[in-house]
Amino acid sequence: MFDPRARARFRKNRAALVGAALVVLLVAFAVVAPWLASHDPLASDFVHGVSRNQTPVGPGSFFLLGADRLFRDQFVRLAYGARISLTIAFASTLIASSIGAAVGITAGWYEGTFADTALMRVVDVGLAFPFLLLVMAIGAALERTTMTTILVTLGLTGWLGTARILRAKTLQVRNLEFVVASRALGQSTPLVLFRHVLPNVAGPLIVIATMSVAQMIVAESVLSYLGVGISPPTPTWGHMLFEGQDYYMAAPWLLIAPAAAIVLAVFGFNLVGEGLRDALDPQDD
Amino acid sequence: MRSIRRTTDLALAFAGATLALSAASCDRALAPPIAAAHEGEGTPERGGTLRLASFGDIRRLDPAVSADLLAGEAIELMFAGLVDYDRQGNVVPDLASRYEVSQDGLVYRFFLREGVRFHDGDEVTAADVVRSIERALHPSTPNPISSFYEMIEGYKAYVEKGAPHLEGVIEDGRYVVAVHLHERDARFLPAFALQNLRPVCKSGGDRYEDGWLPCGAGPFKLEPGGWDRGRSLTLVRHDGYFLPGRPYLDAVSWTYANNIGTELFKFQDGDLDVLRDMNQADATRFRVDGRWKPLGDFDPDRTVSGESMNTQMAPFDNVEVRRAVAAAVNREEYHLLRPLAVEAAGQILPPAVPGYDPTFVGQRYDYAAALEHMKNAGYPYDPSTGKGGYEPHVTYYAYRQGLSEYTAPLLQQQLAKIGIRLDIKMVNYATLLALAGRRGQAQMSAPGWGMDYPDPSDFFDLLFDSAGINEEGSLNSSFYSNPRLDAILEDARRELDTRRRYALYGEANRIVCDDAPWAITHYYRYFLVHQPYVKNFRPHAVWSDYVSESWLDRSVPRMALGTSVWSDVMGLYRQASVRGARP
Repeated sequence: MFDPRARARFRKNRAALVGAALVVLLVAFAVVAPWLASHDPLASDFVHGVSRNQTPVGPGSFFLLGADRLFRDQFVRLAYGARISLTIAFASTLIASSIGAAVGITAGWYEGTFADTALMRVVDVGLAFPFLLLVMAIGAALERTTMTTILVTLGLTGWLGTARILRAKTLQVRNLEFVVASRALGQSTPLVLFRHVLPNVAGPLIVIATMSVAQMIVAESVLSYLGVGISPPTPTWGHMLFEGQDYYMAAPWLLIAPAAAIVLAVFGFNLVGEGLRDALDPQDD
Repeated sequence: MRSIRRTTDLALAFAGATLALSAASCDRALAPPIAAAHEGEGTPERGGTLRLASFGDIRRLDPAVSADLLAGEAIELMFAGLVDYDRQGNVVPDLASRYEVSQDGLVYRFFLREGVRFHDGDEVTAADVVRSIERALHPSTPNPISSFYEMIEGYKAYVEKGAPHLEGVIEDGRYVVAVHLHERDARFLPAFALQNLRPVCKSGGDRYEDGWLPCGAGPFKLEPGGWDRGRSLTLVRHDGYFLPGRPYLDAVSWTYANNIGTELFKFQDGDLDVLRDMNQADATRFRVDGRWKPLGDFDPDRTVSGESMNTQMAPFDNVEVRRAVAAAVNREEYHLLRPLAVEAAGQILPPAVPGYDPTFVGQRYDYAAALEHMKNAGYPYDPSTGKGGYEPHVTYYAYRQGLSEYTAPLLQQQLAKIGIRLDIKMVNYATLLALAGRRGQAQMSAPGWGMDYPDPSDFFDLLFDSAGINEEGSLNSSFYSNPRLDAILEDARRELDTRRRYALYGEANRIVCDDAPWAITHYYRYFLVHQPYVKNFRPHAVWSDYVSESWLDRSVPRMALGTSVWSDVMGLYRQASVRGARP
């Protein structure tokens, strides 16, 4: 946040602070928990993980969130899953935001030209596809899906909305006096775009990106849940949800833990995003 | 921001659904069984509809193209064969009153019962039998097991060279059918008792065609509108069935493409009479609940699973590596993944298949031996440092949404302990079969084999005979070739003496276990449970959900069984909708 007034508005927003706390906790969980964990997330423990009726053991002192269906530590897998979810979400958002910003600013700057028309038609066509369906189709077409392929896929398909919004914002900014003045003074177009336009569309971009992180977490989870995400045995929240669903009667923690993680993560990033939007938009004062 | 709101909504919906499921899961006690009118088996009663369900679906109900267990359940009730399998897996006469085998084992003569009627009222004659066999084996018929019958005289001329008739199948009088074999083959009768060559009505024609209303001579028949594709199938009693008083049920119905959780609730509500699709945890609940335990049963072990190693690809072209894998697989851990369904296996033949030798140990877990084999192979591995072993990663194909999702990561863990690092590729089952059956494609894969007919040849000949190697679609997925084994299997095919034949398969068993083209891991058996009022419902050695001899003994009318009235109303609505009317 560049403006102290915006920072103050954000601090006053309790929902945004709750969201920020959730995000901080999530990041801390992802960073610290695997480091503290004594169990291997990929190793089955047939000694401690199997209950007397031969189902996975429930939450307890040995396995904080119980064992999963392969008798692995659910807590440790959840923590490693958080790393993967957050890495994918942040990296794909970075890719999507970069592409979306480049396309949106270019189209807005060159409004009415062939470049603008062509780029916006690409965006229209892309938006006509349901996002998750498109990502699923790509995921299914890949012979082997890794964290890299997933984040690249999400990044390359998630920029369309960003481009549309930044184009509109660029249309406003490019006619502002200081932009017109800098052009009149003979500054080159790239310099104007980077020095004057980009900083002035950065607010919406940050808001969209924050909320996009939540969207990417859901997208990655859906892909993993449907079996076109990262290949097992790598722990992902979506696949843990898939693995747990058969046990919702006998071992509900297998379902509740990843579902709660997804919900809290999405909720946290959305609250932060909405808080940023309110803080960066002076009209809400 | 619309997409953002949608994301939040999606997450909240996710949360709601999870909480709802969790709330539902709080009530973990199973509903009590719905009592029968009488204790014990009692005497058979006529009437009622037996209701079954599956998560799967069926595509065809023509015996000529029968291939899967689910469709096979219905086909078994609709089409009677000249011979069939009894509950113990013995071949017994059915439409035929008896059969004779010539001294040289080359001619089988089947004597039909007289006066047997098809569902359309026509009499079943030898001409119908011959026509049905030619129809099922015609090259235009997509019969998946046509090659099972290549021992019939004239098979190649008919299937490959366009001969107008199958020379070896002869109408020898109105009620006698003679089948000539070009060479003695002990596999003929077990294969002939399968469903594919069973007589079909004249409306089935001389050639297989999609869209025909299936019609046979079995105890139940399909009436127009009885099959709502993708949703349900209802068969009704064939009143002209040749066994007097049978079948007892008025009808048998299946619903398909069910969620297995829904099936569980419907079964407990009394909307299903038999429950087959269950996860491990729910099956355990039925097993430990004293009220349900006597009502649960296992299908006989008819399938074997293993980790297939491609003997034409490194590192599995080295027999010592294969032996190392076979010794490194801890089968007890496989068993613990699904204790009710999975049984540790060390040999190819499942216990329900004749020729299974319970005293033979076969492959077994021996970690020290596995490390020794790796050393002998030239890939010594030091477990304390994790160094050594076979350095390149091995690609292992497994299938999604099945037991393979459990076993693949477990195998990965187990082989890592001897220095073999697996890259798991999860694909759907059809893709797995295609990749595993393509020469030079899959280093390692997770095939399984379900019994077609209860005979050792159904396992050894198809999975390990070098004749089963093809460029594409090879059932011999390890591309294993051993001339000595081939010779033994050839001898076993010609041998009609059961004892000597099983001894040959015992030798084949030893060779396969030692050469280890598969690390044989487990047998899979299905657990199923039924309501107490379903009588004479017992597992069959070959057929799944065999209800031809079952009856219902309900004490209260259907609507008073504590079921949801809503489901009945919806059922009526669906029936009316199918007929194009509104209730």
